[in-house]
Amino acid sequence: MVSRRSFISAAGAAFGVASFRAEAMEPFRLGLTPVFLDNDAVVVDQLQSAFAASLGVPVELEQRRTYEEITGLLLEGSIDAAWLCGFPYLQHQNELSLMAVPVWNGQPLYQSYLIAASDDEATDLEDFRGGVHAFSDPDSNSGYLVTASDLAQIGESPEKFFKRTIFTFGHRNVVRAVAAGLVRSGSVDGYVWEALIKTEPELTRRTRVVKQSEWLGFPPFCMRTDRANEPEIVAMAETLLSLNTTELGRSALKLLQLDSMVAVETSLYDGIAERMRTYYSFR
Amino acid sequence: MEMFLRLPFSLRVPLVTVVLMVMVGIFASQQVLRAIGKVQDDRIRELAQLQIEALSIALGPHVLRKDVWEIYDTLDRATLTDKRRLVFTAVADRNGSILAATDPKRAPVGSRIQDIAVNSQTLENLSVSGSEPHIRILADLTYQNRLVGQILTEMNVTDLLFERLQAAWILVLGNVVVTGGLALLGYLGIRRMLMPITILVERMRESATAPEPIPDHDLPKGDTEMSRLVRSYNAMAGAVEAKAEADRRLAERERFVSLGRLSSSLAHEINNPLGGLLNAADTIQEYADRPEVVRKSADLLTRGLGHLRDVARATLDQNRIDHSGAALSREDFEDLHLLIGPENLRHSQTLDWDIDADNKTLTQFVAVPIRQIALNLLLNATEAAGKAGHIKLKLKCQGSALRLTIANSGPELSKSARERLLGSGPVPPGGGVGLRLVRDLIQELGGSVEAHHIAGMTEIDVIFPMHAINTVAKC
Repeated sequence: MVSRRSFISAAGAAFGVASFRAEAMEPFRLGLTPVFLDNDAVVVDQLQSAFAASLGVPVELEQRRTYEEITGLLLEGSIDAAWLCGFPYLQHQNELSLMAVPVWNGQPLYQSYLIAASDDEATDLEDFRGGVHAFSDPDSNSGYLVTASDLAQIGESPEKFFKRTIFTFGHRNVVRAVAAGLVRSGSVDGYVWEALIKTEPELTRRTRVVKQSEWLGFPPFCMRTDRANEPEIVAMAETLLSLNTTELGRSALKLLQLDSMVAVETSLYDGIAERMRTYYSFR
Repeated sequence: MEMFLRLPFSLRVPLVTVVLMVMVGIFASQQVLRAIGKVQDDRIRELAQLQIEALSIALGPHVLRKDVWEIYDTLDRATLTDKRRLVFTAVADRNGSILAATDPKRAPVGSRIQDIAVNSQTLENLSVSGSEPHIRILADLTYQNRLVGQILTEMNVTDLLFERLQAAWILVLGNVVVTGGLALLGYLGIRRMLMPITILVERMRESATAPEPIPDHDLPKGDTEMSRLVRSYNAMAGAVEAKAEADRRLAERERFVSLGRLSSSLAHEINNPLGGLLNAADTIQEYADRPEVVRKSADLLTRGLGHLRDVARATLDQNRIDHSGAALSREDFEDLHLLIGPENLRHSQTLDWDIDADNKTLTQFVAVPIRQIALNLLLNATEAAGKAGHIKLKLKCQGSALRLTIANSGPELSKSARERLLGSGPVPPGGGVGLRLVRDLIQELGGSVEAHHIAGMTEIDVIFPMHAINTVAKC
């Protein structure tokens, strides 16, 4: 993990945050994916306000249904930065760089949960063979890659192991699908499931965690590497890393049940990279 | 039915009205409920149609792609908007395999929609009937005019059933109240209208002997059927009273007539043998020295006086209504022969006397009335035959009857004589009472009388049935 001071000073030395604020009033476009609790408009508004106040320019939050769409927008330059997942970041590691990574429960790590209905007696992934399974997104680490790679390790693919798989394109939707009985099991972001315990306990109460993955790198904020030195990008990175220093920032982080944002090295995602190799080797 | 017929008329008519009104009420209620049912059917059909069309639009692309989550999410959100009406919805692909349902546990992904489509209806034949709180509708799911799947919707119609039940109760209660009220009014109205008849019946019941007219102040107002009926009754009561008065006067007059007739009969009956008795007395005086003539005349006197005694007794018996008496014998006819003989001689008449019956037979008949009848008819015949006329008497047994024929060579019976002898009407004025007495006696004996005029002879035939004394006897 690199220090926040050295990360920002390097960027600031090259362009200077003050000069960016003085010269540009174009809105900053930040992409959000379903990793985020996108159903909560208050969170989105709070986050937008915190970023805008810190940057001094309007911030447009771009929301899309899939990781693929957001990643595509980032790569083509339609958005300036995006809160992605470790899996798409690693898929486009050559084009993308890390801006900041949220800290949850004191560390920038999270887990993937394999969940089932609260009255389901399954104890392992194997117990879900032949059932209907819900994934979040085919480009999600916790919502797809972890389970897919686990299956790859035993020589199975999701299409064959499960009777049917569906994509809900949202971690919260995976929890809903399992709770309603639409599917027997689901792969969900552990951070989202834990956050939902506080915000929608009625929903999570109808589900239970069958299996937890190892700790993996938390979904990061990414930027295009070739734009890393642009003032607005640098300013956004500074804003993210100092979010817990402002009232609005702390409020937004509190709503997101996060502690802060930190700059990290790519090695944080080695675990995901390992799972990618497992997954791709099988396919 | 018999019990109903025993009810008073003033109760029966309102009851019939009530029954008819209840029937009308039931019919009207059925029509209203049917109309409500139709409105509800149309309403639920419209709702279901809108629901299915809306879901078709929203779900069409997802069903086409078999996107389970999007279908579920859309259904879930749609149910949230109308949770009261939409109870359950399931969507299947073209093969009937369920893609998603609002309650996935009830309709798991991949199960058959037909398994949960029991008792489902189509949109075209949708009807809210029975008491089921939910109805199921199975419809095709089309997208861009293409059949992409099926949709099963279960709708809550409890409110509609409650609405219908409420309407039914309101109708029933309303009908009961209205029918009851109108029936009461009808009862009172008809009772009032029938009041004259009630009064009429009471008057007729109270006046066992003669109907009493209804006073003017109780007469129904106006010129209605009832007022005409009561006026007719009053007129009839007046007529009955007038007739009773006339009967009373007639009876009084009849008593006088009967008394006169009795006096006349007595005088007649006593006068008839008196001629013979006087002749016998003259004979005794004239032939006092001839014992056999005196004895014969004395015998005649005795029998004549005996006849007078019998007449007096018969009169007494008549008034006592006692028809019993001495039995008839050939001697009675011999007496008659002796009694009438002098009259025949006086008129120089010839007499044929033929008694073709023995005493054994004759004793079956009563003597007094038959003697009276025969004597009256002989006296009338003697008078009718006139000077040098011819008279016949013939008595003969005919089966179980006795036939008495008395004929004379005189003229045919006059009209008034025929009326007296054969008719039953009042006795015409003038003339004696002998023939009417004969007729009355014959009738009392149960006999019959006929009059003929054949070959210059006027014949009167009298038939006496045997049952006068003994019905078993035969001639």
